[in-house]
Amino acid sequence: MVLVLALGDLHNPHRAPDLPAKFKSMLVPGKIQHIICTGNLCNKEVHDYLKSLCPDLHITRGEYDEDARYPETKTLTIGQFKLGLCHGHQVVPWGDLDSLAMLQRQLDVDILVTGHTHQFKAYKHEGGVVINPGSATGAYSSITYDVNPSFVLMDIDGLRVVVYVYELIDGEVKVDKIDFKKTATTHA
Amino acid sequence: MADGATPRRKSVPDWLNNPIWSAPAPAPAPAPAPRPRAPSPPPPLPVPQPPRDPTPPTPPPPAAAHDSDDSDEGDDAGAAGPSRTHLIAEFKAAVSARALCDRGDSIDGFGLERKVVDLAELRRLACQGVPDAAGVRPVVWKLLLGYLPTDRALWPYELEKKRSQYSAFKDELLVNPSEVTRRMEEMTVSKKEEQNAEGTGVLPRAEIVRDEHPLSLGKTSVWNKFFQESEIIEQIDRDVKRTHPEMQFFNGESSSALANQESLKRILTIFAKLNPGIRYVQGMNEVLAPLFYVFKNDPDPSNASSAEPDAFFCFVELLSGFRDNFCKQLDNSVVGIRSTISRLSQLLKRHDEELWRHLEVVTKVNPQFYAFRWITLLLTQEFKFRDCINLWDTLLGDPEGPQATLLRICCAMLILVRRRLLAGDFTANLKLLQNYPPTNIEHLLHIANKLRGPLPY
Repeated sequence: MVLVLALGDLHNPHRAPDLPAKFKSMLVPGKIQHIICTGNLCNKEVHDYLKSLCPDLHITRGEYDEDARYPETKTLTIGQFKLGLCHGHQVVPWGDLDSLAMLQRQLDVDILVTGHTHQFKAYKHEGGVVINPGSATGAYSSITYDVNPSFVLMDIDGLRVVVYVYELIDGEVKVDKIDFKKTATTHA
Repeated sequence: MADGATPRRKSVPDWLNNPIWSAPAPAPAPAPAPRPRAPSPPPPLPVPQPPRDPTPPTPPPPAAAHDSDDSDEGDDAGAAGPSRTHLIAEFKAAVSARALCDRGDSIDGFGLERKVVDLAELRRLACQGVPDAAGVRPVVWKLLLGYLPTDRALWPYELEKKRSQYSAFKDELLVNPSEVTRRMEEMTVSKKEEQNAEGTGVLPRAEIVRDEHPLSLGKTSVWNKFFQESEIIEQIDRDVKRTHPEMQFFNGESSSALANQESLKRILTIFAKLNPGIRYVQGMNEVLAPLFYVFKNDPDPSNASSAEPDAFFCFVELLSGFRDNFCKQLDNSVVGIRSTISRLSQLLKRHDEELWRHLEVVTKVNPQFYAFRWITLLLTQEFKFRDCINLWDTLLGDPEGPQATLLRICCAMLILVRRRLLAGDFTANLKLLQNYPPTNIEHLLHIANKLRGPLPY
């Protein structure tokens, strides 16, 4: 039972001052084992805050990140799953499923987490699952101003992943979940 | 020299004044190492066998045969086994409870149709020490703690019932929240088509059941409770790893030692979850350890493999009398640990006023400094593990009950070292009492026996 927090595109301080208060009250240290962040934090304060939530922090570089040392892509293995991480501005057209699927095959991962569009999405294709946690602060994106703050918490339990989607809609936190099982046979 | 019947005098009673209570014999018996005591000359000791009292006051005379054998203290408490093999037959008879009855013989006039264990008889025998061999002790302890009923015919049924109850506890309480939420879903939501095998497209979002998500802060949330309890579980983990580090059984590298540790952890976790009022308190692992050790080393393999559920229920039973000692809120109340300690103090005052005065008034050694650990941990930390198990035979077996017996034994511990205490100041006394010197357990229990009488309240 491993809890993995996936979030990104906070754009702090340029486009948003901070995470919504309701999100912050839920994110307490000690519960989460890993954090994967798609990028565009952008400053060090956010990095330190995330580090305080959980020491195991993985970040990839977004185009506005001030720290130039984050990698472009990252892969890690948690339990039975291989996760891939990439900000997504490198994949053109932005948010296109087929292109993202190509990236997923390149990285050879079961779950690909990308951002940049600031919209929550969860796709499934033959190669695996693509998850976009959206923007945790609700910052406007290059595409749209209408953004709901959202992030994702994955509960990895053996071959099963339960993806909890936390969205702030009209000032209330709404939680949904998505069940996903990895078939024992390796994907082609 | 009918002791116990002498009227209360201010001075130390005669039997107490015997130098035997102060030091073990240096030469005759292989008693614990003679302690360096400069002031008094080596007392002219007889063989360490109480000369005045061939039989302890309480058990009836037929025990005379046992006593003379028992007082053959040719072994020190460390070895323990050999001197009691002759008692095995006695115990087996008591435990097998006139099993011959069902063959139609009526032995010693009992003539019982059913096989019932005479608990009073068993207690009497247990107080003299349970033999180590032949798997007698596990059964005796289970009977004494009320885990096994006295009626032998009910044993298989009871064991089955309790063991399956424990499995149910494990299943219910030791499950992580992911499992729990999954089960909740399966109950409430109809199983949808698993569309994970093939297909592409947007994954469907589903409603969460009853607001259960990992970051939930709700009081009834399974996840929230899990995280709150994780602290207790960590504490249990740390304490179990520290239990008896010198023993291979608990702390070796072998898989059996790790399995034992896991068992201890499970027992303590389930206890903590079932008792929200008291949870887990440091020290409970020490009280559990001897129970688990004895049950796990049962030569009967079916019993040994069920050591965990047996130990759990016996632990609950044992702790039921001592719970109040662990409850912080009750510390200052009439039933709490402070009151128990003051009862010990009163007991000491009643039996040995001179020592009491010296300790409490002159040297100002507050009994809390030493008695706290003695009482809450049931003396598991004061003696070697082997000795402790022998001590527990009496503790569990005494008809007065473990609480009263414990106080008497603690009092006896103080009296046994009275010479050194009377000669010492605060620091020396505290040091002595907090590191109680190795003692002959038979000796100690004998003295404790003499201290019977109504407890001061």
